[in-house]
Amino acid sequence: MSAQVVIKGPERTEVVKAWNDQIDVQVKVAGSGPALVYLHPAAGLYWDQFLDKLAETHTVYAPEMPGTSFGDPYAIHKVDTFLDLVLIYEEVLRKLGLNRPVAIGQSFGGMLMCDLAAHFPDIFSKIIPLDPAGLWRDDVPVLTNKLYIDKPENLPGYLFLDPSIPAAQAMFTPPADPEMMVKHIAHMVWSLGCVAKFIWPFPDQGLAKRIHRISVPALIIWGKQDKLIPVAYAEEFQKRIANSRVEIIDQSGHIPQMEQLDKTLALVKAFIAS
Amino acid sequence: MKVLAFEQLAYRHFASDYASNYDSITTMPYHKLVDRKLMHQDHMHFLDEMLHAARSGFDGLATTEHEQASYDILPNPNLQMSALAYATQSEGLDVGLACVGRSLAKSREPLRIAAEYAVLDQISAGRLVAGFPIGLSYDVNRNNGIPPIETRARFYENLELIKKAWAAKEVFAWNGKYNKFPEVNTWPRPYQDKPPVWTPAVGNPVTLAGIIDNDDAFLYLSWFGPKLTGQRVFDRYWDLAEERGKDRNPYRLAFVQAVFVGETDAEAHREYGPHIEQGYRTGLGSIPMQSLGLPGYIDIKGVEFLIKDPGDFGIVPKMRTIEYKELVDQQCAIVGSPETVTQQLLEMVKNFRIGHLVIMVQIGSMPHELVMKNIDMLSKHVLPKLKGTWEDENWENRWWPSGAR
Repeated sequence: MSAQVVIKGPERTEVVKAWNDQIDVQVKVAGSGPALVYLHPAAGLYWDQFLDKLAETHTVYAPEMPGTSFGDPYAIHKVDTFLDLVLIYEEVLRKLGLNRPVAIGQSFGGMLMCDLAAHFPDIFSKIIPLDPAGLWRDDVPVLTNKLYIDKPENLPGYLFLDPSIPAAQAMFTPPADPEMMVKHIAHMVWSLGCVAKFIWPFPDQGLAKRIHRISVPALIIWGKQDKLIPVAYAEEFQKRIANSRVEIIDQSGHIPQMEQLDKTLALVKAFIAS
Repeated sequence: MKVLAFEQLAYRHFASDYASNYDSITTMPYHKLVDRKLMHQDHMHFLDEMLHAARSGFDGLATTEHEQASYDILPNPNLQMSALAYATQSEGLDVGLACVGRSLAKSREPLRIAAEYAVLDQISAGRLVAGFPIGLSYDVNRNNGIPPIETRARFYENLELIKKAWAAKEVFAWNGKYNKFPEVNTWPRPYQDKPPVWTPAVGNPVTLAGIIDNDDAFLYLSWFGPKLTGQRVFDRYWDLAEERGKDRNPYRLAFVQAVFVGETDAEAHREYGPHIEQGYRTGLGSIPMQSLGLPGYIDIKGVEFLIKDPGDFGIVPKMRTIEYKELVDQQCAIVGSPETVTQQLLEMVKNFRIGHLVIMVQIGSMPHELVMKNIDMLSKHVLPKLKGTWEDENWENRWWPSGAR
């Protein structure tokens, strides 16, 4: 099944020294054209077909959160607070010399992107949160903690409406080489652990208080059948961001750009072009 | 060698199929499962049994801390230890009091722990062993909301703060990463100049190295099956001690071993067996494996190590449906006549170099009368044969409280 999914992946890695030169932030890059920033979710950067497609028309920059880069796990210990993290990302984007790029952020990456846009109103020209974390309603709990406490075999069920689709299968298939498989699994577990520093036990770092500061246009995309962060949150984001609209994607769980690639891509491209 | 009596405060009245319906941590429904009178009774029996052990000739008593757990309902073991400290002091029983909890990584009030331990040491006139576990992942992270990746750093900062609060001659300021206190001046200070510190751990080499470098004692447990894990973990510990320039003093080591004694092997298996099986299934066995190490709790190198070689978990992965015979075969519990038990214990103590043997005298559903019998059998027939172990090697025991026997 997974053989059907062909992913080109990033073309190169740019290393940006940040945080008083204490951290080497790895930025995966592909494509040419206007700059587009992608911020990854809790499991770390997984380069999928969506990013391949975006790279056909844009230069995609995907920074890896400190600690989640392969071979450099302890960088996370230099980042103590969420504010540290926001400032590190701002520094990286500034040093990359991108001129107000469009940004896309998935889940935790969406939360981080929204806070960057709230802290630094001119950092992006447009933002596209994909099923973002960051808000909390007692009556609709966000279930990101399940990624940490439930059995590993249950995780696909939180992320996908249909975990059997080839794109999902490809994502969850570790390398065949035994040594690489061990490193791959440990790396994924560690990446979740790194991001948990900012989303455990809830992905709530106070964005609700700052989100009104976002001034750029926002397209909020949500999988209608998202089990991890229910679709009710789409409206919560929409009503707090002045210049925003929502698109709900049917037949999709938490990752619409994988489960409904064509529809999601069409919405994203139209919004960028508008 | 010092021999201590140890119990967890399990609720003793769960249905036999508990393990197929509930976890033993965090989520089990209290009101559905618990009768208040029986819960009260279990609390009283726990204290009665521990006091009985103190009166019967054990060198010390030990407790652990578990929160939101059904197999050890001691959210703060210092409460029980306080009752035992007073009772033993009143009776002139100079037993050591080993609080091998309080879990430090989760604590947002480490100075409260410093003060509580100091109070225990004062009531008991210097009989406290201060236990400082990092804390299990389910408790630190699930029950207390600490991000898993901060677990270890919080543990080390809290430990350093507590030790400084005890030793400081003057008021000091603590501007740590996780604690900010303008004026630290713990009252009372411990009765002992420096209460001995024992750190419960499960064999992670990073943790063991920290224990050795701090010159504290390592406490390990029989629950994973010493036949499977004992040799590898203890060899690792003693090798690390040697590498880091420390001697092979057996008092650097404490070991919790479940032991149940009858008149004959057959009687012991018949009387204790069902409770042991039920206890392991509904206790350790009903902790979901993933809750023992949420992502980030174990260092990435440790995760790689555990994927390649999960041997340190022993038989824990199949504990939920474990059969009694395997528990005995792997020495999760040592069960039998005084002769059988003594022989196995002495072999283990010598082989692993155990200076403090912490005997777990109750488990699971085991009722009060049977626990009292076990304590009697141990004190009459086994303790006398264990006494004097290691005396021929003349090691100094710097990990035993100065006010205890």
